[in-house]
Amino acid sequence: MKTVGFVLTRLARDRSALFGLVLIAALLVTALLAPILATHPEDVFELHPAERLRGPSAAHWLGTDRMGADVYSRLLFGARITILIGVIAVGASLMVGVPVGLVAGYYHGWLSDALMRVSDVFLAVPQVVLAIAIAQTLGPSLPNVILALSATYWPWFARVVYAETRALQKEVFVESTAALGASPWRLTVLHVLPNIASPIIVRASIGMGFTILTAAALGFLGLGPPPPTPEWGRTIAESREFLPDAWWYATAPGLAIFLTVMGFNLLGDGLRDVLDPRLRRARIARDD
Amino acid sequence: MTDRRTWLIVLLTLVVLATMPSIPAAAQTRFVFANESPYDTMDPHAAFDVGRVAVRLNLYDGLYRWLDNPPKLEPWLAESHTVSPDGLTYTFKLRRGAKFHDGAEITAEDVRYSAERILALKKGAAALLATMLAPGATRALDRYTVQFTLLKPSAIFVAVVPEVHVVNAALLKKNEKDNDWGAAWLTSNDAGSGSYMLTRYDPAVGFIAKRFAGHFMPWGPKYIDEIEFRLVKEDNTRVLGMIKGDYQGTGGYLPNDQVKRLREAPNVKIIEQESMRIMMFQVNNQRSPLTDVHVRRAISYAFDYDGFNKDILGGSVERNPVPIPNNLWGVPRDVKGYAYDLDKAKAELGKAAAKVDRPLTVGYLQGFSQTEQAATVMANGLRKIGIDTKLTSELWPAMVERMKKPETSPDLVVYWISTYYADPNNWIGEMFHSGQWGTFKASSFYKNPKVDELLDVALRSTDRKIREKAYQDAARIVVDDAAGVWIYNTKYFGPWAKNLEGIRFSPIGNGQEMRWVYYAK
Amino acid sequence: MRLLALALHRLAWFVPTLLGLLVVTFVISRVVPADPVALVAGETATPAQVEALRHQLGYDRPLPVQFVEYVARLARGDMGTSIFTRRPIAEDLAHRLPATIELTVVAMLVSVLVGIPLGVLSAIWRNSPFDHGLRVVTVSGLAIASFWLGIMLQLLFAMRLGWTPLNGRLQGFPPRSITGFYLADAALTGDWPTFGAALLHLALPAATLAFPALATLVRFTRAGVLDVMQSSFVLYERAMGLPRAVIVWKYMLRSALTSTVTQIGLLFGILLAGAVVTEAVFDWPGIGTYAVNSILRSDYNAVMGFTVWAGTIFIVVNLLVDVAHTLVDPRERTT
Repeated sequence: MKTVGFVLTRLARDRSALFGLVLIAALLVTALLAPILATHPEDVFELHPAERLRGPSAAHWLGTDRMGADVYSRLLFGARITILIGVIAVGASLMVGVPVGLVAGYYHGWLSDALMRVSDVFLAVPQVVLAIAIAQTLGPSLPNVILALSATYWPWFARVVYAETRALQKEVFVESTAALGASPWRLTVLHVLPNIASPIIVRASIGMGFTILTAAALGFLGLGPPPPTPEWGRTIAESREFLPDAWWYATAPGLAIFLTVMGFNLLGDGLRDVLDPRLRRARIARDD
Repeated sequence: MTDRRTWLIVLLTLVVLATMPSIPAAAQTRFVFANESPYDTMDPHAAFDVGRVAVRLNLYDGLYRWLDNPPKLEPWLAESHTVSPDGLTYTFKLRRGAKFHDGAEITAEDVRYSAERILALKKGAAALLATMLAPGATRALDRYTVQFTLLKPSAIFVAVVPEVHVVNAALLKKNEKDNDWGAAWLTSNDAGSGSYMLTRYDPAVGFIAKRFAGHFMPWGPKYIDEIEFRLVKEDNTRVLGMIKGDYQGTGGYLPNDQVKRLREAPNVKIIEQESMRIMMFQVNNQRSPLTDVHVRRAISYAFDYDGFNKDILGGSVERNPVPIPNNLWGVPRDVKGYAYDLDKAKAELGKAAAKVDRPLTVGYLQGFSQTEQAATVMANGLRKIGIDTKLTSELWPAMVERMKKPETSPDLVVYWISTYYADPNNWIGEMFHSGQWGTFKASSFYKNPKVDELLDVALRSTDRKIREKAYQDAARIVVDDAAGVWIYNTKYFGPWAKNLEGIRFSPIGNGQEMRWVYYAK
Repeated sequence: MRLLALALHRLAWFVPTLLGLLVVTFVISRVVPADPVALVAGETATPAQVEALRHQLGYDRPLPVQFVEYVARLARGDMGTSIFTRRPIAEDLAHRLPATIELTVVAMLVSVLVGIPLGVLSAIWRNSPFDHGLRVVTVSGLAIASFWLGIMLQLLFAMRLGWTPLNGRLQGFPPRSITGFYLADAALTGDWPTFGAALLHLALPAATLAFPALATLVRFTRAGVLDVMQSSFVLYERAMGLPRAVIVWKYMLRSALTSTVTQIGLLFGILLAGAVVTEAVFDWPGIGTYAVNSILRSDYNAVMGFTVWAGTIFIVVNLLVDVAHTLVDPRERTT
């Protein structure tokens, strides 16, 4: 079994994973220190119509938007929203998906089939469409976006956990422990979970990236938190009518999304390589 | 490797071939208009909105027609009309020899059928017409005389009559199915007499029509042979298309930034006209705390009118402080309305008996970023006087739905009211008469017996002076009551190909009547 | 045989899964706050008129009754009528499907034709600047928001350079419909200007859609080729002195291709999902925008129809991919 120290040392040698970690750290720092790092923190609410659509300058590092608010400052506060959505949505998906996968993997027979088919139902419709339907039904807001994303991502955890659990059952040590009379609960917590932790962690990291992209797509379509929330996807949608002149307006939030997601993807890749090199080739076949 | 190279060459050749024809002149007598809403029906009785007006203006005719700016009512299929002394009976004399596209002559029976059809289908202008005309109250006295008997005297009947587009009764009866008045067939076909005849239609694309040489109005020496009205949803695409010459005309209510780009294009000219289209916030007068006039006045003082009109919209609109367009009669000229004054706003809030202890819902329209920006400006102002807001957006049809009942309508909703007919009743009458509750224009749910009485007087009388005074008095009361927040009156900035002449703009038709238009060279 | 058992097992679950999907969608679509019947009746309709229309369309009956009726009609092949277009949903879907398929197929072609050679090359030139550069691109491929990529491409190629149109499938009226695919129809009727125009309209959306798929393919091909390159029989051949080019084309490409085939199913799924957002950006008149618009307009039947269609496709594709996987890799057999 891999200890945390071991993982971190191996990770540190992987340059791209390290780069990913740096990006994520930057995101966290930005989100935490947004009020300090922002040049115009009040622009999350304030409007200055007379200064709208100005290009990047000394006063406004990334220019101003259609209301005259500072793009750079709003971008920083957008990082908070992004992290919030990502962490909660993935966390919730994990908390639903892992138990479902465990139960489905541990038991055989109709319960297991039913659970997997339920997860199939949620996977059958393109995720973004289901998220749109849920967000539209409940009304565009931050909590509803998180709910919509959690509801559509949990099957991925369920599937991974299910496959791993089934694979583990064939391992000798599990069979023998069960034969010795260990209860399902004991078996799961002490033996199965630690062994499937790695794929779950990898999936969570990749899931962060994927969730953030879908959240941005929802924001872009107008189904995310309402104005004046500085959500990155919504900002891109707002900027469209002012192109090509106000190019910075669309470019900045897009780059922010790109760097954030890349950070999680690189970290996820690195974790995957470290935690289970055997998985690398086989897992590519089962990627997002 | 070789196949890839050949493939590339083929591709390049095709690209070159494809781009070649789109360079210079489309055929001189062809005109393409880029429209922002879809033409989902060709039936002139199924729609009443500005977005699809091109169908009604070009393919159909009415008894009278609104032309030019300021809008004037001109005889069209009818030569004249008389009104009985009690104001209930209108008798129209039709011109002789006017023909439908299929050659049949237009008679009074067609007019009668058309009026009954609108009332029966209950779409488009039916709701408005039904307040004045009952089914069966239209009679064809003889081949060229038609008579309407109204439910009560109405000063706006003649103003609304242009919306009774005359359809070919015989043709529709032939294509009727299950007593549907030919509705299913007319959705994608032509039963009109207008200057142009439908040749091609696809609800996802638009329609093409060619000139009807036999139209009763004489054609000038120059004209356009074929017109195409096409759905092009994005502002940016329409603007780029105008600059590239793909389109020769598009809607004139583009954002100011886009209008600036078009002004700089060498092959585009902008026709500037004062239109009649008010943007305003409807305030739900029936929902606490908005029932308190001081709260409403505070809201009126909290909107940054200049910031919105001058900065965000670049001065392309005129502040319009009352619920009647500035350039129409009936406006009380002495009323200045409300200005952006946070101190006055806070003072009003202080005087209010009702406390604002919850966030106010501000509704705007999905897909109309100007409404989103207006809502944001409003939210910002309210925040400054201590009122929280929750912004909510719907597609226009969904918002119309919500606005029909005081329980479901948002606290504030921002949208425009265009010119359906050029009379103050189109605005203040339909907005603030308590009998209008349940229509999308009356989502203020305002109820004031004095105002009701003034509006009724204005509708009953046919004396312009009496009507004018009534509307002015009503406007004064409504403004004092802060029953809504009126922001601006639109200016029309119509982008047209530079070599087009003869465009006649009217706030009702928005210049989309193509029979007058021709290429100058 | 095991394969047959797998297939039958999956098919047995097909109907219940689909039903489950329908229930979920039905519940979601009926819970929407907006009333589509009123939307259709129009802005000038009175409440009485709206109720009349509701009764006429059958939406005033209890929910479970409506659901049962819906399923019964579905079994007969009737997906119902769209509240908005007043046309049968099956017809609407069929009308819009070619647009999405054309886009997806072109995108897939681009990603395969560009991705596989690039993957092979980057494996052969492992750790070269080319390989590293490509690695940056492929990592980006899965990190870029596709709607943002689309907008950036529009900004550069349509607005600044003017090389391609901004959006849409075609300007004006389409070529005479034989297959529903504009490229094919234009070619078949010899309408080359339209063919070129349709191709130009496809350029940006196809590129946007292809990018993430391309990134995946390059990575996967590279890994696959590297695997093969290290395998014993290839080393043997190299030791025997066979020229590298021959080895590449004879063994590596073939093995890379076989595994790619199993990937195509998955790829198709990715592309179809990506199509929804891409279609929104480019105003592409396909299934994606149909689904999104139906949801936004609360067009119950259309949403259900789309779900049925998408669900069926997904379940079938999933089955095929699992079958193919079982055939290709006995190690990975799961039940």
